[in-house]
Amino acid sequence: MGGVMLLFFSLLAVLFTVLVITLRQPMRAALSLVGLMVSLAAIYACLGAHVVAIFQVLIYVGAVMVFMVYTIMLLDDRDTSYRQVFSRLALPAAAVASLVAAALWLLLGSLPSVPVPAEGGGVSFTFSAFSVAFMRHYWFHFELATVLLLVGIIAAWAAIKEGSNG
Amino acid sequence: MIQDLLIHLVFMGYAIAFMLGLATLFTWVERKQSAIMADRIGANRCYIRIPFTDIKLVAWGLFHGIADGAKMLLKENFTPTTYDRFCYNLAPWLAAVPVLLVFAVIPFGGTLVPGNLLDIVPFPHLAQPLKDFFGARSYQMQVARLDAGILVVLAISGVGIIGTILAGWSSNNKFSLLGAARAASQMISYEISMGLALISLVVTYGTLDLNEMVRYQSGILYGALPTWGIFMQPLAFLLFLTAAIAENKRVPFDLPECESELVAGYFTEYSAMKMGLFMLSEFIEIVVVSALLVTLFLGGYNLPWLTDAGFAFPNGATWAMPQPAVVLLQVLTFTVKVVLAGCFQIQIRWSLPRFRYDQLMRFGWKFLLPLAALNLVATVFVRWMNL
Repeated sequence: MGGVMLLFFSLLAVLFTVLVITLRQPMRAALSLVGLMVSLAAIYACLGAHVVAIFQVLIYVGAVMVFMVYTIMLLDDRDTSYRQVFSRLALPAAAVASLVAAALWLLLGSLPSVPVPAEGGGVSFTFSAFSVAFMRHYWFHFELATVLLLVGIIAAWAAIKEGSNG
Repeated sequence: MIQDLLIHLVFMGYAIAFMLGLATLFTWVERKQSAIMADRIGANRCYIRIPFTDIKLVAWGLFHGIADGAKMLLKENFTPTTYDRFCYNLAPWLAAVPVLLVFAVIPFGGTLVPGNLLDIVPFPHLAQPLKDFFGARSYQMQVARLDAGILVVLAISGVGIIGTILAGWSSNNKFSLLGAARAASQMISYEISMGLALISLVVTYGTLDLNEMVRYQSGILYGALPTWGIFMQPLAFLLFLTAAIAENKRVPFDLPECESELVAGYFTEYSAMKMGLFMLSEFIEIVVVSALLVTLFLGGYNLPWLTDAGFAFPNGATWAMPQPAVVLLQVLTFTVKVVLAGCFQIQIRWSLPRFRYDQLMRFGWKFLLPLAALNLVATVFVRWMNL
């Protein structure tokens, strides 16, 4: 049963990912992203990592996506540029996407086999286990990721400022 | 396996019936309280005529909830010209479903041992098949037992904001858009204070598990008082109550749908059952907020000094009770507490005037948030020093 659920939510996640990229309307793309986040949370829950599933919804859906949807709500709806079905870069983008997919396929084939966890994830990954693992092993990675995000935000802000200055 | 499925289906059915039943009851309470505050008789126009007689069964106007439901189901489903019909139709569901989901982690009773349920009935031939079917299995009375239940509450309640935004945006109406902008800003602002108040509580109880929190509140403070959250964290109680009412967009925080300025705010363009879903979600949220208040601050499903084994009084005396009686008492206690907490929330609506929007934002960011942060710092200090 756990395997079927895992497969179902994995397919759902792939479907929403495709929708995020292909839908041109910003609000619908954002909603697909919400669907993707919830599907990922369901996958984590199926694997027994309830804590990660909760954080996935709490942070990405409850915080990040709410702000994205809020911003899209305030966009000028008279701007109809999103109604153009294909951009000039559609073909190069499809070519690059195919290359990435092929590279991933080859990479997956060359990886050593990993033991598959028991169906349903076995013992669930509790909040205390998560906290201990996080504070002992992953705090540096987390801090590094936040610094990178900050750099990204500053870069985006600088790019927008540059663009608005003409 | 089949036993587990059966019990969880029963729990889910009970949770849905509990929420919908109390939400309907609260619509009546709201009407009745408004009538009392305005010195009217109120909510007495709906009745059922007993067949073949002229007797009208008014029942204090309790049928008004059923009439509301029937009216919304049968009304014309008027749809405005909108540039995104899909989002317009999706919004009421996104607003209503998360509210229903939050209740999944709230415990509405202690430990249930289904095999022992008929032990107090004096017919052993009825009790034995039940015992054979369930054996010694025991279940915590809640739909989903998660060790970080309080985070689930915060995570899922945040999703409801998207439904509100979507409704206002897709309605193609300036009142709706203004209502949605107000609602989203307000919900995001007050969620932070609410989260900080809950973290203070987590620091006090030392757990994120709602069941463990209820068990913690079975203890005794200063020799007589129960260790309820309201006594351990009175400021967090006030902060949580205020933020929860603001999250639910009810008076005095009902700016997103205030009729004098915005018609009905983000759901102005909704009619029939779609509008009904928004209204229902508001009343279900009263039930859920009341259930959370009861679970976090008012001892949950337990009476003072009541445990899963019976009563344990501060003077050392105990009163052992059979397990089915304890379960029944716990479920009843939880229901009564939720009804009282809900009535209190509705009473606030008929007692306080509405804020202005700048006052609402100032109150949230400049008063409630610093207070919640101070409360958290003080709680951590007390916990750290073992005071």
